[in-house]
Amino acid sequence: MSALGVLLRKELHATFTSPVAYAIGAVFLLVLGYTFSLTLFFTKVASLTYIFHQMYVLLVLLTPVLTMRAFAEERRVDTLELLLTAPVPELAIVLAKFLAALTLVALMLAASGVYAVLLGVYGEPDWAPIYGGYLALLLLACLLVAVGTLASSLTENQVVAAALSLGAFLMLWFADSASYLLPAPLDLFVVNLSLIGHFTTFVSGSLFLSDAAYYLTLTLLALFLASRRLADR
Amino acid sequence: MTAEPIIAIESVGKRYGRVQALDDVSLDIARGEVLGLLGPNGSGKTTLIRLLTGYLTPTRGRLRVAGHDTVGAAMQARRRIGYVPESVPLYGHMRVRELLTFMARLRGVDARDVGAAVERASARTSLDDVLAAPIRTLSRGYRQRVAIAQALVHEPDIVILDEPTNGLDPRQIIETRRLIQELRGERTVLVSSHILGEIQKVADRVAILLSGRLLAVRRMVDTPDLEALFLSLT
Repeated sequence: MSALGVLLRKELHATFTSPVAYAIGAVFLLVLGYTFSLTLFFTKVASLTYIFHQMYVLLVLLTPVLTMRAFAEERRVDTLELLLTAPVPELAIVLAKFLAALTLVALMLAASGVYAVLLGVYGEPDWAPIYGGYLALLLLACLLVAVGTLASSLTENQVVAAALSLGAFLMLWFADSASYLLPAPLDLFVVNLSLIGHFTTFVSGSLFLSDAAYYLTLTLLALFLASRRLADR
Repeated sequence: MTAEPIIAIESVGKRYGRVQALDDVSLDIARGEVLGLLGPNGSGKTTLIRLLTGYLTPTRGRLRVAGHDTVGAAMQARRRIGYVPESVPLYGHMRVRELLTFMARLRGVDARDVGAAVERASARTSLDDVLAAPIRTLSRGYRQRVAIAQALVHEPDIVILDEPTNGLDPRQIIETRRLIQELRGERTVLVSSHILGEIQKVADRVAILLSGRLLAVRRMVDTPDLEALFLSLT
């Protein structure tokens, strides 16, 4: 097993033996179940568009809680020194934490797939927006977890890490609103940073490579910066 | 012809902002030697150790571990070192065997050899009775043993112990001292302390640091009165 595999195994164990993971999963599914039932009851439409937007909001709010421990806790109890003096590249340490948190989010998304199954059994949903929605959520999760991991690498205080992540997510979310205040061509640049702008097109069933590239680019940038932060000592 | 030192520190300096933590330190350590790093708190002992382990990078100069530069060939250099930090950081949620297995795998021990490596390290540090115990339930003394075991588990050439007797009771101090003495000749040991008596009892040579500068390096056999030497230098 490679160093990444060894680290990932340790991180998965830490993630899934922590009550935080189960609390977040429970809140996520409980709120979704409630919203799904209400939406279906009122609209009688076999669509998950509203649920996807709900999941978007929940991920923005819950991911900081999920990632805040990643490095902040290791710094606080000094175990980061054990990892950083082992013959392991910093990027492997960052990737292991990223993949462990992403696995949890992916499982939460998979569990929410039961709503799609229900729609398929009792109705005739348009599957393209559903596939697109799940792809968008997975890409969104990559970005949020990567930025959360970066925020956690900057501090030893978990609350500060969560606040930094949430601040970054909200800034990205409302980037398109800020663009109205900016001159060209800066406004266009800021509009293209918008988290929700790239998400909405996916959920409507339209897949654009530029939207996927947005999520992947920011994810890789955040992971790179986190590994640079660890290497800077 | 003299044998090449296993640790070579050449004109090393480390600066944190305006603070010069280490200034122009040069020191060679021979294979199999126990070197004591002595100095008051804040003298630069931990900084020098962290530079050797690759946790920090030097502002100037270079350090080589078994011929590998600690910056340019960091992975090769780190493989040769077992390290016990001063704060004894361990994953409290893990069991002792789990931690030793994790550290062995992380330091490149082959999967087939991990079991034997863990057994060897735990036998050497008398941890057999607590291998299945969660680390958070262990006493300070046992935690220190686990920290030493994780440093030995991959059979490194060099063992670095930063203030290993801090916070231990007299019996645990004696056990730690005995362990260091057992490692003499078999491994190169670098042990730091601010207590003269500790260094006197375990080291072959002593290096005295003060305010980031290396004041003296002496063989213990030539230094019957370490206290007098320390006072004369500081």
